[in-house]
Amino acid sequence: MSKQSRRSEFLSEVGNISAFTGKFFREGFKPRYEWSELFRQCYIIGYESLPLVGITAFIMGLVLTVQSRPTLEEFGAASYLPAMVAVSIVREIGPVITALICAGKIGSSIGAELGSMRVTEQIDAMEVSGTNPFKYLVVTRVIACTMMLPILVVLADGIGLYASYIGVNLKGIVSWNLYTTQVFESLTFSDVMPALVKTYFFGFAIGIIGCYKGYFSNKGTEGVGIAANSAVVVSSLMIFVIDLIAVQIADILGLT
Amino acid sequence: MSTEENIVIRTEKLVKSFGENHVLKGFDLELNRGENLVVLGKSGSGKSVLIKCMVGLLYPDSGLVSVFGKEIPKLTQLELDELRTKIGFLFQSSALYDSMTVRENLEFPLRRHWMHKTKDEVNELVMEALKNVGLERAVDLMPSELSGGMRKRIGLARTLILKPEIMLYDEPTTGLDPITGREISNLIVAIQEKYHTSSIIITHDMECAKIVANRIMILIDGFKYTVGTYDELVKSDDPKIKPFFA
Repeated sequence: MSKQSRRSEFLSEVGNISAFTGKFFREGFKPRYEWSELFRQCYIIGYESLPLVGITAFIMGLVLTVQSRPTLEEFGAASYLPAMVAVSIVREIGPVITALICAGKIGSSIGAELGSMRVTEQIDAMEVSGTNPFKYLVVTRVIACTMMLPILVVLADGIGLYASYIGVNLKGIVSWNLYTTQVFESLTFSDVMPALVKTYFFGFAIGIIGCYKGYFSNKGTEGVGIAANSAVVVSSLMIFVIDLIAVQIADILGLT
Repeated sequence: MSTEENIVIRTEKLVKSFGENHVLKGFDLELNRGENLVVLGKSGSGKSVLIKCMVGLLYPDSGLVSVFGKEIPKLTQLELDELRTKIGFLFQSSALYDSMTVRENLEFPLRRHWMHKTKDEVNELVMEALKNVGLERAVDLMPSELSGGMRKRIGLARTLILKPEIMLYDEPTTGLDPITGREISNLIVAIQEKYHTSSIIITHDMECAKIVANRIMILIDGFKYTVGTYDELVKSDDPKIKPFFA
């Protein structure tokens, strides 16, 4: 494939995703609202992702604490360990790692599910039965992702901080009260808010890209695999792009 | 005899292409009320494209496609959704929703279009639809637990649940063994008799065509080549028609 055709393919993909996003905003706020499907998706995306997100957050908190200790000790700053880990987890590691885990789990599952529905004509069947498949399948999943990701991130932050408490106590004794006091004293509004706000965008990106890739899947069963795979790749990339933009905006607003 | 009020679906000079692939090149068709019209054609001749144009899944490049006198491309989404409740479409793959049980599959169209129905009434309609296809026992199974023939029957039950006036069958017997294929063909006839539906059946299964057809239309090179009853066409000496009945 020539450079020019790659570039035009990329631009047309960007255009199609933008049009798909535009359709989401046009369709998403018009009745009829698919409440039961929305709640079902919230359960699948939120509740069923919690074990994976929780285990990852626990390991992340513990490893970060254990690995940071020697460096801080070298500078005689071991007592800052809870504060340093808390800021790292809440500001950056919690949101980004949780979003990446969700891009892998939720993005691929949405891409594969809608892709398989497309190639087995289930989306067409929905359409000919007089149901708007975009509202029923896409709008519900995107909203569920957007709503559930911040909740998962908050839970992951909490689990990560608890794991960090265990990590701190592996080599030393720090009471729970002292630990939490150090953690909450180190965190400010500018640590928590930008981190929380960007998770909504992470969730939206995971939902919209997973749905887009699955909804327009073709090439039969091979297309389902491609849809799932590219949903993960593109949404992971989007998470880093959004993170970069969020950091710049927070910096401009003086929230760093 | 075709009279204007008697025609439920009409296509005139229907043209549909996919890039350089010109599938329909001016196809004319009339479906009369209460009849079973079989459309025969080779694989890739545009049979499925034709019926997808009739429900607005695809839009023609030019020409007319009208259902109950309404031109499909000119309808708003709301009007099209309303019209679609009068049309049943059985997909080649049955297209059952994988994540739902058989009951939920059948309830799905009911809950969207007949929202005034109580839970008991919905249950009654579901069981009646399953009884029509002889599969009441499958009500709580998942689609993955069904055989190919059962999937077709459940697909048919789901299509029939809104009591459509028109049925479009996309290769209803493809992938089935001859006995199950015959059962599905007999079911199509039984549905026509019970619900007085008008149907278009896309197939290249001659046994199915023989059982279900009131008329057979042959699609060759994107055009209507000929139309007639099974008995008329089977006697034809035309070299383009003969291979279908060989």
